[in-house]
Amino acid sequence: MDALAGTEKIVAAIGAVVVFIFAIVGLRGEWPKMGLDDIVTKLLLGLMAFGCCLVILACLGILPHVSPSTPSTGV
Amino acid sequence: MAVSVAKQGYHLGHGEVDDHHDTVIYNETRDMRLLGFVLFLCADVILFSSFIFAYIYLRTTVSPVWPPIMDGKQLPRLDVAFACFNSVVLFGSGVTMHFAMEGWRHAKRGMFNLFMGLTIVLGAGFLAGQGYEYMHAKIGGWSGSIFGASFFTLTGMHGFHVFVGVCYLIVLWWQTSRSVYTTDRYFGLTAGTLYWHFVDVIWVALFFLFYLW
Repeated sequence: MDALAGTEKIVAAIGAVVVFIFAIVGLRGEWPKMGLDDIVTKLLLGLMAFGCCLVILACLGILPHVSPSTPSTGV
Repeated sequence: MAVSVAKQGYHLGHGEVDDHHDTVIYNETRDMRLLGFVLFLCADVILFSSFIFAYIYLRTTVSPVWPPIMDGKQLPRLDVAFACFNSVVLFGSGVTMHFAMEGWRHAKRGMFNLFMGLTIVLGAGFLAGQGYEYMHAKIGGWSGSIFGASFFTLTGMHGFHVFVGVCYLIVLWWQTSRSVYTTDRYFGLTAGTLYWHFVDVIWVALFFLFYLW
């Protein structure tokens, strides 16, 4: 189960980096546009890139910051 | 004013040929529809915020430890590795949706179809992952603990939004095959993209609150 969790984290980390890069590319493309939908899209793409950062931090074990005694469920 | 102009445009659209006038009408009504849709998203933000604040309140005041203790035993934390994987699936679908939209704007039909299909598959994949997690999360069920109640309510509500989003995208895809939208007039696709990004962003908040906090 631990090995499976390790694999899941590696795949998730690689995926998060790829999605982050594409989200930034999309954000760059949207940047000059100033319509209401473009502004909302920029905001949402930025937050999505932030979400990718959270996933990367979680995969690296930096988040969540919990004591080792706390039990964890294995899916 | 705008409505009366829109009515005139309706009559023109069914009688005389006046493309320029139709474009003016479309642009006017598009702005109103867009504003309405953004307000709908704001209302959804308030809905999720109320449940999120309830969860934060319960977590910080009701239970001295988190996850809470049930039957003399502390409940386990949720599995972060699986949640990371599932989150990337959903975030990935947000990016594919964005590029589907770009494909449509630039009249690249093949690119649109590829990325739209990927978005639907990834959205359905996220739902399947969520279902798998529901079956295996040992946090006391919906009514067993405040952890379970908060988790299943919030993620269930989000999952319902994802489900509606997947159905919405399928309808949009079908509409594009029926030439409902053109490369100049595609408000439905814009709304679908905004909705899908919104669903992604709500998950960022839920992912942090339930798995990383």
